[in-house]
Amino acid sequence: MITKQLIEHIEGEASVYFDMDGKKVDFATVVFPHFRGMESFLEKKNALDALVITPRVCGICGHAHLMATVRALEDAYKNGGYEVIPTQKANTIREFTLVMEMIQNHFKWLYMVIMPELSKLIDKPFTQKPLKGAYASSLASKAIALFGGQWPHSSYMIVGGVTCDPTYMEILQATSFVEELVKFFEKECLGVSLENFLAFESCKDFQGVESDIATLEATLIDLDMQKKGFAHDRFLVLGTHNFSSIGKLKGTRTFHVDPKFVTTIQAYTPHEKTYAYNALYKDEYYETGSLARMISSNESIVKNMHRRYKDSAYSRVMARIFELALLLQHGRSILNTLDVTQDSVVKVEDIHNITAKGIGVVEAPRGPLVHEISLKNGLIESYKIITPTQFNIGSSTREKPTPVQKAMQGISKDEAEFIFRTFDVCSVCTTH
Amino acid sequence: MHSKLETKKPKLLWLQGLTCNGNTHSFLNLNSLDTLLEQFEILYFPAFATDYTYEDILTCKLSCDVLIFEGTYDSTLQRGGILLADVLQHYAKSAKYIIGAGTCASFGGMFAEMNPQNKSGLLFKKGEWVTTFEMYKEKIINLSGCPMHPEWMAYTLQMILHHKTILLDELYRPQELYGYLSHHGCTRNEYFEWKVDAKNFGTKEGCLFYEQGCRGPMTHASCNKILWNEVSSKTRIGTPCLGCTESDFPRTHFFTTKTNMSIPQDIPFDVPKRSYLTMVGIAKTFHIKRLEGKLIDYKTTH
Repeated sequence: MITKQLIEHIEGEASVYFDMDGKKVDFATVVFPHFRGMESFLEKKNALDALVITPRVCGICGHAHLMATVRALEDAYKNGGYEVIPTQKANTIREFTLVMEMIQNHFKWLYMVIMPELSKLIDKPFTQKPLKGAYASSLASKAIALFGGQWPHSSYMIVGGVTCDPTYMEILQATSFVEELVKFFEKECLGVSLENFLAFESCKDFQGVESDIATLEATLIDLDMQKKGFAHDRFLVLGTHNFSSIGKLKGTRTFHVDPKFVTTIQAYTPHEKTYAYNALYKDEYYETGSLARMISSNESIVKNMHRRYKDSAYSRVMARIFELALLLQHGRSILNTLDVTQDSVVKVEDIHNITAKGIGVVEAPRGPLVHEISLKNGLIESYKIITPTQFNIGSSTREKPTPVQKAMQGISKDEAEFIFRTFDVCSVCTTH
Repeated sequence: MHSKLETKKPKLLWLQGLTCNGNTHSFLNLNSLDTLLEQFEILYFPAFATDYTYEDILTCKLSCDVLIFEGTYDSTLQRGGILLADVLQHYAKSAKYIIGAGTCASFGGMFAEMNPQNKSGLLFKKGEWVTTFEMYKEKIINLSGCPMHPEWMAYTLQMILHHKTILLDELYRPQELYGYLSHHGCTRNEYFEWKVDAKNFGTKEGCLFYEQGCRGPMTHASCNKILWNEVSSKTRIGTPCLGCTESDFPRTHFFTTKTNMSIPQDIPFDVPKRSYLTMVGIAKTFHIKRLEGKLIDYKTTH
């Protein structure tokens, strides 16, 4: 029997069509019904206008889009014979604000999505505190705004660097926001210090701790989430940063990757029209996001978790929390390395002299975000955006399920809805 | 007793058309979010669950006091399988106030650029009047901006809670928020006064109006009075104002100023062109050493 379920609070909505076998999900397909046409809107525009337009694909990860655009443009400059090498200062500021956006995203997902949805599955739901997520996120946004002017929808990354030229005043203010965020995370979320958490050998170390995260962890185990929600145990990380390690992983084996092997196909949705395309790497579906990044970076606690619980819903959720801690630590440390005497932007050739193709790849909160641009005399001939949700939440056939389709099989519909959200779904990005 | 008190709270409903969720996320940055939201009964909010599901809202059996609409209105758009037009019309009837959150809801914005035939803001398409929600114009307040500033929404909701009259401009935006230009309070004002251009991006010095495309002197917004995320603004960190609160957003060539004879084609709002040109001519003859150098000389001072 087919049951349609509207899934909300995923940066828009999606419809999941569950094909039930008794009380278990036999198979499911996913429909994303809204479309805006951002790629065609970009055509014929001055290429630099993309720096303003693409952040508006998404309210929660617009900064990742901005960075993907600036990388695509700089790649086009390089391919057009005018290589651009931004200063270390510009690269560090870009990375810092990207990391802060990721932190902002993870806090919201944790408090506004995962905790409330998990709570629905238990007899005595725990008190919901979505505004805790909003508060933590607002601190991360303030740290971004010191360099980016505002969040959301900043356009401060430009070809050759960044528009800002911070003093130590802004750097120290940003440091204070990060410290406040760390303190909040320790006191209000973890129940242990960041340092102790990062030294955990396994999540068993949460025993005896009373905190939001400890409750979440225990509830995941109570609900057997370490035995549910398995996808293909294949992972993909494509964005190059100091906090990630690119690669394609099958179980624990790592392989070399090149973004040129990413392709998209129309999603399979027999019950309703969708605007979504699935993203594949060399014709295979891969899971992307925090779990993929943590395994690829060889983070021992997540590797141990993966060895024991594979790519279960439990691993997916806990890997994100661990990533949150690592990103806070990384954000804090890179601010220290900023040298205000370096230039914010290097001189670049006039955009009108650029006729070339470029590709920009970043790790967005949910995984690789790929922007492909083709320029003729500085005007955009074509623009293609491939987002992480297209990798994770594709809708394919029974014979070749996508990560989310595989993860939802063989469990109850309620559990499947929760597991759907463990991937952190972004509806607006999927059908840009 | 408790619930009796709570039922007196105005009911707030946040609906969306074609959107990026940017206004929702902007609003979540509000410092006083908790205190503000406590004063309303939230029927639906896009970012987290409340007492009602979206499907409950779509049954159109509820009513609201304040209706917030985010995104471009598209008369053919269905959300949750129901025509948005019908849902909006239902809640607009009972609402005492309807707030257009962001430029898309106010003027159509970026998402009305593609296949524009069915798309608009609540009352305007670009600067032109549209009739769909005309019968509700007395209760509509536009908070344009891509995205709107969270404090602008907080101001509007507080004014409603305190039964104060909100004075609006001709585009239905609160005058207390949009009577200013984003130029007001910009840290680069002295460079504007003496016509000292920023030669490049990535500097603390120079005005971005002459070459870098800044729309600050003709954009109604209080971004440099009520700072973004409480700490900064685009122009303060060297990004030109993009004019995102105006009805013609998005324009094109955001990072370049269109000039005629090296004078910006669009001159500061309401300033007579001849007077402006005379003043520029005079100011350009001055050489103010302080404004031509660096504000901070990191390379030679220690």
